[in-house]
Amino acid sequence: MKKTIIVLLGLLLTAGILFAGGQKDQGKAKAPAAAKSAPAVVKIWGWRTQDADVWKKAQEALQAKGENIVIKYETFVPTEYDSKVLLSLQGGSAADIFYTRRLPGARTQGLIDNGYLVPLNGKVDLKAIPETTLNSIRSKGKVWGVPFANQVVGIFYNKDIFDKYGFSEPDTWAQLVAISKKLKADGITPFMIPGKAGWALAMQHAMVGVSSPGSDWIGKLAKGEAKFTDPEFVNIGKRLNDLKVYYQKDFIANSTDEMSAGFALGQGAMVFYGIWGGTNWKKLNPDFHYGFFPVPVVKKGDKPAVYVYMDGAYGLNPASKSMDAALKVLSYAATPAYGTTFSNVTGEMTAVSGATLPKDKLILQECYKTANEMAAANTYWVGSVFQNGTPNVYSILREKMQSMYLGDITPEQLAQDVQDGLATWYKPLQK
Amino acid sequence: MTARKLFNKYNYLILIIPALLLYTLFIAYPFISSLFLSFFKWPGIGPKLFVGLDNYKNVLTGYMSREFFRALGHNFYFLFLNWTLSIVPGIILALSLAAGIRGSDFFKTIFFIPNTLSIVIVGFLWALLLNPQWGMINQVLKAVGLDVLAKAWLGDTKLALPTIIVITGWRGMGFYVLTFLAAVVGIDHSMLEAGRIDGASENQIIFKLVLPQMVPIITTVTILKIIWSFNIFDIVFAMEGTQGGPAGSTDVLGTLFYRIAFGGLGSSQVGMGLGATVVTLIFLIVFPVSVLYIYIIERRELRG
Repeated sequence: MKKTIIVLLGLLLTAGILFAGGQKDQGKAKAPAAAKSAPAVVKIWGWRTQDADVWKKAQEALQAKGENIVIKYETFVPTEYDSKVLLSLQGGSAADIFYTRRLPGARTQGLIDNGYLVPLNGKVDLKAIPETTLNSIRSKGKVWGVPFANQVVGIFYNKDIFDKYGFSEPDTWAQLVAISKKLKADGITPFMIPGKAGWALAMQHAMVGVSSPGSDWIGKLAKGEAKFTDPEFVNIGKRLNDLKVYYQKDFIANSTDEMSAGFALGQGAMVFYGIWGGTNWKKLNPDFHYGFFPVPVVKKGDKPAVYVYMDGAYGLNPASKSMDAALKVLSYAATPAYGTTFSNVTGEMTAVSGATLPKDKLILQECYKTANEMAAANTYWVGSVFQNGTPNVYSILREKMQSMYLGDITPEQLAQDVQDGLATWYKPLQK
Repeated sequence: MTARKLFNKYNYLILIIPALLLYTLFIAYPFISSLFLSFFKWPGIGPKLFVGLDNYKNVLTGYMSREFFRALGHNFYFLFLNWTLSIVPGIILALSLAAGIRGSDFFKTIFFIPNTLSIVIVGFLWALLLNPQWGMINQVLKAVGLDVLAKAWLGDTKLALPTIIVITGWRGMGFYVLTFLAAVVGIDHSMLEAGRIDGASENQIIFKLVLPQMVPIITTVTILKIIWSFNIFDIVFAMEGTQGGPAGSTDVLGTLFYRIAFGGLGSSQVGMGLGATVVTLIFLIVFPVSVLYIYIIERRELRG
C-alpha cells in the first residue's frame, strides 16, 4: 500500500512538472471575450531608463488623439540588453517595439539579415527625420527603425568656475592646458575623469581625435592611407597622457557616477563626456550651470569638430501581435511633437527635425547647433569600420588607455597595440 | 514475471523522473548545448557556422590567449590568496570560539552577518567605502595620520585584485568559522583530556590532536574553494565591471566569458561560440575537482 502511494505521488509530481503552465493558457483562452473593448497594448523594450516619462507622455498624446493604446515600457541594463533582445526574438517573446543600435554594426545587421526587424519604408512617415540621421539605420536601401536621439560628446565645463576666473571657452589645446594649470594652482581640480570606466576613456581618446588630427586624417586611416602608429595618432595619446596631471587624484579608481557627482557638486571644473550626462548632473545639483565646447584643436586656425552619433532607433518586431498599434506608436515617434517631448523630458537632442527644444535648456540648443555645424564625418569609435571585427578599436582602447594612464605603457605602445590588434582583421591596415 | 512484479521492480524509475527532468532541463541540456556551441561561430542570431576547433585555437593560442591566460592566472591567484585568508583565520577564530571565550555567541553572529548579505551588495558597499577621494577607509587612514596607506584600492593594478580577495574572505569568514567550529566541537573530548593528563601542552593539543582531526573538513572546504574560485564572477563584476579593470588586472575567467559572449556597452561584436569555449575550459578545470570532492565525501560516508 505504502509503495502504491509513493508511486502515485511520483506520478503526480511528474504530471505537475509536465503540465505546469497549463492553467495560464486556459486563462488566456478565456480572455478575448472579456477584452473586446480593451486597449491595444504595445510593449516597448529599451536600455534607457530616462525614457520612461517620454513614453508616458506619448501614450497620453496618442490617447488624446482617440487612439486606444496603452504603452508598456520596460528597461534592461545596457550590458545585458542586446542578449535579452536576441534570445527573446528567437524565442518569440520579444516586445512589439525594441530599441536597436545604430548601423554599421554587427548586432543590428544580424537582426536585419535574419528577418527580426520590419523595414519601415511606406509604413511610417519618416520625412521629419534628416536623411543623414536615417543613414545610421539604413541597410539594403531600407530604413529599419525610427531614430530617437543624436548624441554629441565633447568637453563640458562648470560655468560658475569659468565665470569666476573670467575664462572663455578655449580655442586651442594650449589654452585648455593654461586654464587647467591656473585652476590647479588655485586648488581646483581641472578635470574629473572616470578612469574606472574604460569605455569613457576610449570615448575621450576618440573625441580628442576628431578635432586633431581631425576627420580627414581618420578618413585616410579607414582607407589604409594612414596607420595608427603614425605621429598623428600617437600624439593624441601623448597629449592626454600629459593632461593627466590635471585630473583628480586616483582618477583611475573613479566610476562615471562618481565623476558625475564630483562635477555636478563643483569638485572639478571640466569633464570629457556626452550630452546625456546633463540630466543626471541637474538631478544631483539643480543649481548647476554648465557649458559645452568641442575639444580644442592643436594648431590655431584649425576647425574643431565634435563626434556626433545617432544613439539608436525604435525597431519593429515582425512577430508583434499589436502590429497596427505599434505602427501608430512608431509613426508618432517620428513627429516633431514627439521630438519636443523627448527633448523636454530627457534634455537630449531629438533625432526629429522641427521639434521645439526646451527654452530653459540653452546647453541643448548650443549642442544642437554645434552638432549641426561641427559634426565630424569620420571617427574611429562606435559606428566606425574599426568596430566591425575582433578585437575592435573600442575593446583595445578601453584597456590600453587605463594602462597608459597608469604608466604601464607609453602612448607609442598604445598606438602600436591598436595598430597590431586591428591589423589582424582589417585589411586596409595590413598593407 | 507478472506485470505487477515488473512494476514493483522498476517503480523507482518513476520516482526519479521528476528530478531527472529538472536535471536534464537545467543542467545537462544547457551544458551539452554549450559544449556543442563551442565548435561554432555564432553571434547569437542567425545560422551557426561550424568552425571545428578554431575557437579553442583562438582561446588557447590565438588572439584571445593573452586575455585567457591572464584571467586564468588571476583565478589561481584568487584561489591561493583567498584560501590563505579564509582557512587560516577561520581555524584560529573557530579554535578561539571553541575555547569558550567570553561572548562567543555574539562573535559567532558578528562573523556570520556579512555572509547573509548578497555578494553584489557587499561589492557595491565596499566600492563606496574604498572610494579614493571620499571613501570611509581612506578618510579614517588620513585622520589617524596614515596618509601613505590611503591608496586607490580599486584603481591600482597591484592592489585591486588583492583588495577584492580580502573582501571576499571577509564576507565568507562566518561560513568557515562555523564550519570549523562544528568540526572542533565534534572532536572526542576524552581524547583531549587524555592528552592533557599525559602532560601535553595546549599547543601540542592543538597541533597534534585537534588539527589532524580537522583535516577531512579542511580538505572538503579546500575543494569547495577551488570550485568557487574558478566560478568567481559576481564580486569582480560588482566592484570592477565586466572589464575586470583597471587595465585587466582583476579580469577572471567569469568576466572574460561575459565580455566575449555578451559583448558590452558600445561593442558591436558578440561571440557566443567563443564564450562557450571559455565555459567548456572552465568546466574542464572544475570537473575533476568536483569528482574528487564527491569521491572524498562518499568515502567518508562509507567509513561513517
